[in-house]
Amino acid sequence: MESSLSKFGWALLTIFIVLNYGLVMRASMQKIRARVSRRVGVRFYQFYIDLIKAYSIRTHLNHGVMYYLGPVFRLTGGLGMLMFIPVIYGSMYFQNYSSSGDLILVLYFFFFGTLGMALGAGEGGNPNAAIGVSRGLSQMSVSELPLIISVVSVAAQFQTLSITEIVAAQQGGFMNWVLFSNPLAFATGFLALLASFAVGPFGIIIAPQEIPIGPPTEYGGSSMGVLMTNRSIFPVAKLILYTNLFLGGATSWIELFVKTFLFFFLFSFVGMVFPRFRTEQSVDWFLKVPLVLGVITLIVTSILY
Amino acid sequence: MVGPIYIFVVALFVAFLTPFFDKISRKMAITMLLFALGFMTYVAGSWLYQFIGGAQTTMIYTAGFKPPVSISLQLGFNESVFILMINVVAFFTGIYLLDYFKKMSVYSIALFLLMVMGLNGMVMTRDFFNLFVFSEIASIATYSLIAFEKNLKSFTAGFKYLIAGSIASSLFLVGVIYLYRITGTLNIDTMIASSSLLVGKGSFVAIFLLFIALIIELKPFPANGWAIDVYEAVNPGIAAMISGAVVAASYFVLAKALPAFGPEWYSVVAWIGIITFVGSNLLGIKQEKSRRLLGYSSLGQVGLLMVILGFSDILGEKRDFIAFAMIISHFFAKAGLFWIAGIIKKDNMKDWSILRRKPMLLVLFGTFIFALIGFPPFPSFFGKWELIMGFMKNGLYLWVAFILLSSFFEGLYLFRWFGYALKLDDNDVKELTVGASKFIPTLVFGVALYGFGYYMGTFVDSAKNLNYIPLIFIAFIGLIDVFPAWIKNTFSIAGVVAYSYMIYPNFQDDFLKMIFLFIFLGGAVITLFGGYYAKGRRAGFHAMALTMFAGLLMLVEASNLMQLFYGWELMSIGSYFLLIRGKKSMPHGLSYMLFSLGGAYAIMYGFGLAYAGSGTFDLIALKNISIFPALAYSLMLIGFMTKTASIGLHVWLPGAHGEAVADIHFMASAILLKAGVYGIIIVLLAMGTETSYAKTILYVLGWVGAISALVGNLTAVFQESAKRLLAWSSIGQIGYIIFALASMSYIGWVGGLFYTIAHFLYKGILFSVIGGIALKLGTAYMYKMGGLIKRMPFSFVAVLMAIITLAGIPPLMGFTGKWLFYNIILTKELFFQGIIVMVSGMIAFLYLYRLIDTIFLGQLKDEHRNVKEISVALLIPVYAMLGVIMYFSIFPTKLLKPLSQLAQKYFPENAMTFANGTAITKFGYFNGTSIFIVVMVIFAVVVSWLAYKTRGFHTVKQFNIVYSGESPDRPETTHFAWNFLAGYRKGLGFIVEPYFDRFWDWISDAVHGIADQARRIYTGNGQTYALQIIVYTVVVYFFVNGGF
Repeated sequence: MESSLSKFGWALLTIFIVLNYGLVMRASMQKIRARVSRRVGVRFYQFYIDLIKAYSIRTHLNHGVMYYLGPVFRLTGGLGMLMFIPVIYGSMYFQNYSSSGDLILVLYFFFFGTLGMALGAGEGGNPNAAIGVSRGLSQMSVSELPLIISVVSVAAQFQTLSITEIVAAQQGGFMNWVLFSNPLAFATGFLALLASFAVGPFGIIIAPQEIPIGPPTEYGGSSMGVLMTNRSIFPVAKLILYTNLFLGGATSWIELFVKTFLFFFLFSFVGMVFPRFRTEQSVDWFLKVPLVLGVITLIVTSILY
Repeated sequence: MVGPIYIFVVALFVAFLTPFFDKISRKMAITMLLFALGFMTYVAGSWLYQFIGGAQTTMIYTAGFKPPVSISLQLGFNESVFILMINVVAFFTGIYLLDYFKKMSVYSIALFLLMVMGLNGMVMTRDFFNLFVFSEIASIATYSLIAFEKNLKSFTAGFKYLIAGSIASSLFLVGVIYLYRITGTLNIDTMIASSSLLVGKGSFVAIFLLFIALIIELKPFPANGWAIDVYEAVNPGIAAMISGAVVAASYFVLAKALPAFGPEWYSVVAWIGIITFVGSNLLGIKQEKSRRLLGYSSLGQVGLLMVILGFSDILGEKRDFIAFAMIISHFFAKAGLFWIAGIIKKDNMKDWSILRRKPMLLVLFGTFIFALIGFPPFPSFFGKWELIMGFMKNGLYLWVAFILLSSFFEGLYLFRWFGYALKLDDNDVKELTVGASKFIPTLVFGVALYGFGYYMGTFVDSAKNLNYIPLIFIAFIGLIDVFPAWIKNTFSIAGVVAYSYMIYPNFQDDFLKMIFLFIFLGGAVITLFGGYYAKGRRAGFHAMALTMFAGLLMLVEASNLMQLFYGWELMSIGSYFLLIRGKKSMPHGLSYMLFSLGGAYAIMYGFGLAYAGSGTFDLIALKNISIFPALAYSLMLIGFMTKTASIGLHVWLPGAHGEAVADIHFMASAILLKAGVYGIIIVLLAMGTETSYAKTILYVLGWVGAISALVGNLTAVFQESAKRLLAWSSIGQIGYIIFALASMSYIGWVGGLFYTIAHFLYKGILFSVIGGIALKLGTAYMYKMGGLIKRMPFSFVAVLMAIITLAGIPPLMGFTGKWLFYNIILTKELFFQGIIVMVSGMIAFLYLYRLIDTIFLGQLKDEHRNVKEISVALLIPVYAMLGVIMYFSIFPTKLLKPLSQLAQKYFPENAMTFANGTAITKFGYFNGTSIFIVVMVIFAVVVSWLAYKTRGFHTVKQFNIVYSGESPDRPETTHFAWNFLAGYRKGLGFIVEPYFDRFWDWISDAVHGIADQARRIYTGNGQTYALQIIVYTVVVYFFVNGGF
């Protein structure tokens, strides 16, 4: 009982750290992006203010049960994913609930929040939400293809699906990182993740110029607050996962912050440099460059491992 | 005992006196006719009874002289069977033709009687000259009867028959003269004894002339155009006689005469037979006129009989059984069909939808059609089985291929015809009246087919312990068809439950069979329970649903190959009738049946090869097939994959399933497809992995599974109809299962079987709910729906859970399946196929979201504001299945452990281990219970937090949305369901262009085209026909003789 209580406590601490890190990191990244386009940009604490504001709004409009539960699904998805990932390698405190399942669990739990959110947005009855969902799903289904290839390649490389073991196998110098030991898998995975973070070319899902906001259109107040909370947790959870997969994980929080920040910066960099695709263009692109790269990765994987 | 000679005495006596009886009254004349026919039937029957009791064959000589001066007759077991058949059909035709005899000239009565007498004589005589006399009597009577009808068609047909008959008679007579010259006898038996005299060119020509005359009487392809015209033109009653009695007699004559000619003539008969069988059935395909079509089919059947006769030496003592099984089916079915044709009086096949006005006639029509093609439980099924197996055993592989191909052609046109009768529009059709005199003979023949089906089954060794209990129960349900649906439903469920309880002990140790029994019988109970939603009578539904389930059951229960095949065919019948019930199902029903038929023949061929190698019908025969093993296993797999609708063989499924109603859709998709999976499992277990061909087949199979998964799921994305979406989805899902099974590994089989169960559960839910909604709204098009969550909350929750399961999202049980699949990919290193399968899973996400979003979410349509939740009868089983899903989601190891044990039996290596609810494989691990708890706790915390923050929320009206400053007032203006994933389609649509449909269309066009061109040889011109017969005679002569 005590151990499960303390486990719960460590889990809460993990969430707390990740939430704060997420809020600051995203604001910083927004600042960088603003500076690139020669704007002043937000303060690093801007998202704290936003969050407090959202949660303080008393009015709450509701379109129905699924609409109400949409953000709940979304945040549960983000938090759950975080909980199933071993965060700090070697630490006995920040493994959380990663003993419940392996890499596949994390990959598929990914969709829990996506599905719930999409359904909630659907019940809102706003066509803009549906349009956003439709675009998002289209893009996701093709961007998952290189991602799966990359993950399978890594799993085959280390002959395991356990994230902890994958991290363990990359210890002992950066040359052991997948980034260097299996660069093809990394490259394939990296391209796939561009869509996952909806940066630049793949941002049409939430493209204010084209459709007002996308799936969250109808949400406001505390519901929006829940979604915003998730926006600071979910990307960090994903970044931790990718750091574990490609960059040898992290043995301390500091290392984790550095690696995830760099990783995220790479994505934002692409976003800042390249213009936006239409849906069919992005589908098309994923079936060309990342898929071809993926097939090469697979061939190499099946020969090597 | 009445002497057989009295058959002739009475027939002649009554025939000659008919004009006098007619002077008294026409009724008197007809009564005397029926009396005479009845008497002849009685004589034949009583002799047969004697022979069954063990009496000896008797010879009868008239007037104390020996032939050829007198008439010599022989009556034994075989003769008595055939004359009984002839007299029975004559008697019932007599009844059927009551109206005809009342209207026509009195001579028609006398001629009819003479024709029957002639046929009796042909069967009994043992003398070539008498044979000539009797066949002339029969023929002349027949020409006259045909030409009697006062219309041009009939008259010319009679004349053409006369031309053909005259040529045959002339040849026959010349041949007889020469034979007599050489052997000094005309008696068949003495001629057989003195066959040593029959040497040299002269004898050859003599025999040839006799032989070709007999063959021409049997109407060989292509010298048989006149016969087609006869079948088309003549009164259907007479046609029934020609097709039933004349064919039987002619077959018997040839069988009797062949031994006298010598062994080398048998193969000639076989060749002529196969050409006739293939040719006639091929040409029948393009036929639109029903009676002409029956003509083609009759000619084909005679061809098949000739093949059987031609291979007498190979079939040995089974020949008579096979021939009898085929003749008796053909005899009853053709007579019945011609009679029905006479009742309907419509010649175009498309007008046969009028039959629906008389359901009993429709049932009989179906009975005859299925009996003709050789489905169980009819005699022809057993006949065909024994024939094919006998041929395979003796290495006649190509012959079997041709026989099956040609049977397929026959199935094609007969089922098209049947489909027209079942489904074609009949709005402007008037009432159909049926007199008792026409209905009773048809009914008697229909019932007789079932009786003989059972009777013939008792002679087949491998069918000895066939389980008839389900069939008897189905017959009972069929008999109470007049009652309302809920009564039949209750009986059906009670029957299935009782039977399940009864057989449970036999299978409780065999987990593999238990899985499929659970799906088949559990599925039966669930779907039948759902059937309570239906109001009214639901004519025929229950009997056919139970037929399908009985077939499925037999598949699992089967202890040998024949029973497996029996079950397979039975299931095909039942499911055909279920699938064709949909409003627009006619073409889909046909394509389903054709793929079923083709698949069944492929399986039969495979079984035949297995039997040929091992000599046993036991299931063990499938192991280590020694003759063409790669072909045998491939054919069996292809056959079974017609039911799993794997890519390339899937063309029938989307239409057939997409048009089916709610509970039938469930039966067809979640249950029926599993029959194919079961078949594949049996084949894979038998084939093993060791041999090189097995490796190749498994490799291809794995790819078939993967591509089915991709194309099935991707096509599902682009469907506008929810039911078609689910149908395509099934193709994809079964693709996963095939991929997993083809990996032939421990983890693959755990995954495949896990998916088999999971697919049954979640697809069952989806089909029931979506089907129920389609029923409520009267449409399955998703763009016509929306916002139904407010009206149908229970349906929504069920669908939500089902799609989470299908998509494989934790914490529900579908995730276990995904996890197992990644393990398969890594264990077996099936990277390329595996990635395709996993990406297909991602694609599933698209159509699932589309499904739930466009139906339940978004704006509610005006016309649906008052729509109610779907029927409770459908919801109860749905929630029961949901309960099972939740149980296995929380405790996945409860299912994984027994599956693991089962898979370990076949593949002991790399088994997963279990520790405290965690399943551990070589690569990874997961603990369903723990995942469930973690997710639920987080969910509860978040939802409480939100509830706390949003207390006092208020729900807004439907159109109160943030919409670019606009305020929409109609749901359509905000709807985005139509062409939901437009961009995706632009990007990927090319993959799912209907290439396979085009391929099959091309094949179909080609076959139809060939048939259409080829049948033009039947010009309808008597001279051409005469020329054909002569040319045919010459050509056969050259072939047999090998030149001049």
